[in-house]
Amino acid sequence: MTLRGTIVFSIGVLAALGAGWAGFPRVIYQTHRQPVDFSHQIHADKAGSKCDDCHAFRADGTFAGVPTLDKCSGCHAAAMGSTVAEKNFIERFVTPQREPEWLVYARQPENVYFSHITHVKRANLKCERCHGNQGTSNTLPPFQQDRISGYSRDIWGHAGRPAMTMDACVACHRQSHLEHSCLDCHK
Amino acid sequence: MTNSRRDIFKFAGGAVAGALFTPAPWRLITDTALWSENWPGIPRPARGEIRAKFTNCALCPAGCAVRARCVGEQPVSLAGVHGGLCPFGLTGHHLPYHPARLKQGPIEEAKAAVRKRAPDGIAILDLNPGRTVSWTYRRAMASLQGLYLAPESQPVAYDLSAAKTVLSIGAPLLDGWGTPANVNAARQNFRLIQAEAVESRTAVLADEWIPLAPGTERAFAQEILGALQGERTSVVARELTADGSSFVLGDAPEIPEINRLLGAYGKIIVAPSEAPVPEPWKKSAAAITRLADVPDHSIGVLLIDESNAASYIPWHFIEPKLTGDNPLVVTFAATRGGYARHAQYALPIAVYPELTDDIAPAVDSIHPTFRISVPLVAPVVTPPAGLANPADFVGALAGVPASNALRERADAIHKSAEGAIVTYADGKETPVKDLTADAFWKSLNQGARWDRPPGLSSLVPAASRSTLRPAEPIESSADLPLIAIREPHNPALVSPLMTKLYQESGLRLAPNRVALNPDDARAAHVPNGARAVLQTRIGRCSVEVTVDPAVPPGAVQVGGSPGIQDVCGPAARVKVVPA
Amino acid sequence: MIAETKKTPAARYGMSIDVDRCNGCGSCMVACAVENNVPPAASGATDRTGLTWIRVFRIDNGAEGSGRRSAFVPVLCQHCGKDAPCVSVCPQQAVDVDPATGIVGQMPERCLGCRYCMAACPYHARYFNWWDPTWPAGMEKTLNPDVAPRMRGVVEKCNFCHGRWHAAKAKAVANGKNEIDPADYIPACVEACPSGAIHFGKLNDPATETAQGARDPDSFRMLESLGTDPKIYYHSKKNWVREISSAPRPGLAKENARG
Repeated sequence: MTLRGTIVFSIGVLAALGAGWAGFPRVIYQTHRQPVDFSHQIHADKAGSKCDDCHAFRADGTFAGVPTLDKCSGCHAAAMGSTVAEKNFIERFVTPQREPEWLVYARQPENVYFSHITHVKRANLKCERCHGNQGTSNTLPPFQQDRISGYSRDIWGHAGRPAMTMDACVACHRQSHLEHSCLDCHK
Repeated sequence: MTNSRRDIFKFAGGAVAGALFTPAPWRLITDTALWSENWPGIPRPARGEIRAKFTNCALCPAGCAVRARCVGEQPVSLAGVHGGLCPFGLTGHHLPYHPARLKQGPIEEAKAAVRKRAPDGIAILDLNPGRTVSWTYRRAMASLQGLYLAPESQPVAYDLSAAKTVLSIGAPLLDGWGTPANVNAARQNFRLIQAEAVESRTAVLADEWIPLAPGTERAFAQEILGALQGERTSVVARELTADGSSFVLGDAPEIPEINRLLGAYGKIIVAPSEAPVPEPWKKSAAAITRLADVPDHSIGVLLIDESNAASYIPWHFIEPKLTGDNPLVVTFAATRGGYARHAQYALPIAVYPELTDDIAPAVDSIHPTFRISVPLVAPVVTPPAGLANPADFVGALAGVPASNALRERADAIHKSAEGAIVTYADGKETPVKDLTADAFWKSLNQGARWDRPPGLSSLVPAASRSTLRPAEPIESSADLPLIAIREPHNPALVSPLMTKLYQESGLRLAPNRVALNPDDARAAHVPNGARAVLQTRIGRCSVEVTVDPAVPPGAVQVGGSPGIQDVCGPAARVKVVPA
Repeated sequence: MIAETKKTPAARYGMSIDVDRCNGCGSCMVACAVENNVPPAASGATDRTGLTWIRVFRIDNGAEGSGRRSAFVPVLCQHCGKDAPCVSVCPQQAVDVDPATGIVGQMPERCLGCRYCMAACPYHARYFNWWDPTWPAGMEKTLNPDVAPRMRGVVEKCNFCHGRWHAAKAKAVANGKNEIDPADYIPACVEACPSGAIHFGKLNDPATETAQGARDPDSFRMLESLGTDPKIYYHSKKNWVREISSAPRPGLAKENARG
């Protein structure tokens, strides 16, 4: 290959790298803001210190996930502090009794079965293992939705992978020799 | 610098190589897989907290206790509290969404029309008698000087636990006749002899199946009667008399007399005991008139309550009772398929499990019981005001307050201070006298059953019961070679999932189908699955054909659609011709 | 804690079905469809192209005239314990046997739709989605959240109501138990049967009614001679029923089976 040919080829490589690393994420992900400017840190300090104070299990062992407005308005029927975020939250959601449409970073496809209680109670995994240090964050990270699949780009955990993928689940199960059958985690 | 074609290829090659070191292609592969998992058009089941709600199934008088598994407020599956449910009851929570459901009707217009015409002889036909609303109808008819019509004037109840031998002449004893849980519990203790032309679902599980020649059910009943009267001998009659505790089921007119000779009345067959009714209702209620006893051409305005009908009366029996001069027929129905075909006004009603209604006494229950079918979902029809409430409609015509009737009835039961209430959630039994009227009403509305031990009851058979089926000799076997065998009554509105039994398997005969023996099908030139016309002396009906070697030659098993019943109900002989 | 789960002995779930108590009402078939989000038939579907994870067949003794007698036999995935034919033929590894429960699982997400497994299954217990799943408007609200609806072009079959197994397991963990309570894990067809003809439980626990039913001298399995060790046991006191289910000659059972 001539020098000129090498240069043209390298320009092509560089152009693709630039497009793939810088341009592609902008195109494929659409950034949404959460409906409420929520601080886990403030709530952890003032309302409850444990995750399951708000993200509770029901009596039958199922996980209730993001708390509903009832739980929020239990304390926030009227403003408790003086922040703008709280004022907005009360005006937009508590007063009209409208459920905020939270964007769930950890949302899984319909065919996935995941039992929180088995992982938390039986296997004693910490919430942070998959969800990262959400509990101490001051702001909610932006929700970057994949335009094709519809799922979040990141769950902001520190499981070593960008999202809760099947590979991440299988890797952990394999390590603990708990890899039995597909239907363990699929429904 | 001049660009050549070669440079473009080099640039493209470099771009491809570079792209492999970016997340883009790998992300796109994953995304495509994820996208294909969320195929558009596949519904996503709603998630939420799982709760249990309790009610009583209103689809038939068995009124099985039901536990509904709900996601939030929405029931997603139903199960029996005491044993399994029938397939119709199991899928009851689909009914509000049925595409064939009647959704709109001119309620006010119908009311005005009835008001205008009412003096010419008004009548109401109640196809699910014995409910609280039936009392409202009777009170309204008393005040309007109209007739309250029911399929039977003197219904009976059977105590299966007291029977040691049961002879059923074509009755579907194990297939929707009574409460599945009761019948199955009693089944171990009696010997069942099933006499009928086809090997029905009941015949398969009977201790003995006597295959009758099609159309000879009545002759068989006469033979038994003759044997009991000492005129001849019969093995079956000897079996019936041997253990002193037996009865016969079926609709041949000889059967009441057979049961009287067997001593079944008062012992196994008793008058159904009704839960207490407020005294003022009894004083101002019209008598129960059997449709067959109404003189012809006497009804000017006929209201028909089809909600969860326990039986279907072929139109052929109703039509002659109407005045020849432009009679007014108003139906309260969930679909357009039943009497609505013959009505000027077809008014939509709430269906189970949207409706609030109590359940008529079951045919196999000798206990007076009271249970309410509590709504599990809000009416799905928009606006809900578009649904007619038959009790309010009829009550308003006569000035009889109807909207609070269930509560009044519950209070009357509470006042009797008898019996106990069983709540399904915990299976606890609480005597009524330990509860306040409000607490009693509250538990009834959370799915509960009130019952009390039966009192002493004796029943004498009605003197003469003319049969609905007219004399048969007018039909000749030359024109109409086949004899129709009807399927047991099924609810008018069934879940779309019943295709599992009707279409995706041939387990049950679909309402619009007929089943023929292969020889008869060949003679009639109708292949399996073909469309055909079912013809009787009354009329014709379009059907689909199933060829089934289990159907005896000379017979045709007919599905339960109102259209088929209209032409087959009064006529025994039929013909199947290619469409 | 994890080591503890490993120590729990493997269950061997199975059924015993009393053919002499089945009157062919069809409750099991519709209860199964409700539980597993199986859609109603497409307008063109027939008994060969429908979806019936459990299917009640009517069989008869082949006699003509008044000697003819029928019986109803519910047939579902027989959960073969050994050499399940569908597992070995699948090119996608979309079928597996759970060593912890003995349940043969089908993964619609992995399925290519080649239908090799349907051809391999001697029990005709696998079904193919020939149409997009559709429910009448509004009825999709009644779908069960514990089971994912499948798409057109994949094979599906009975998995002993796996959603109920998940729920029972979660409940056991919530109550701090290692074993699930047998009362919490009952497949929909068993729960729905009005005559109590179907029993479900662990075959490796001799105390269960299922294991007792399996040991009964009048019980038999479908096509036992194939050596697939099915975990569905049938029971009938009638000789001809027991014989027909072993289908000594290919095609004989089929000729007399309708449904």
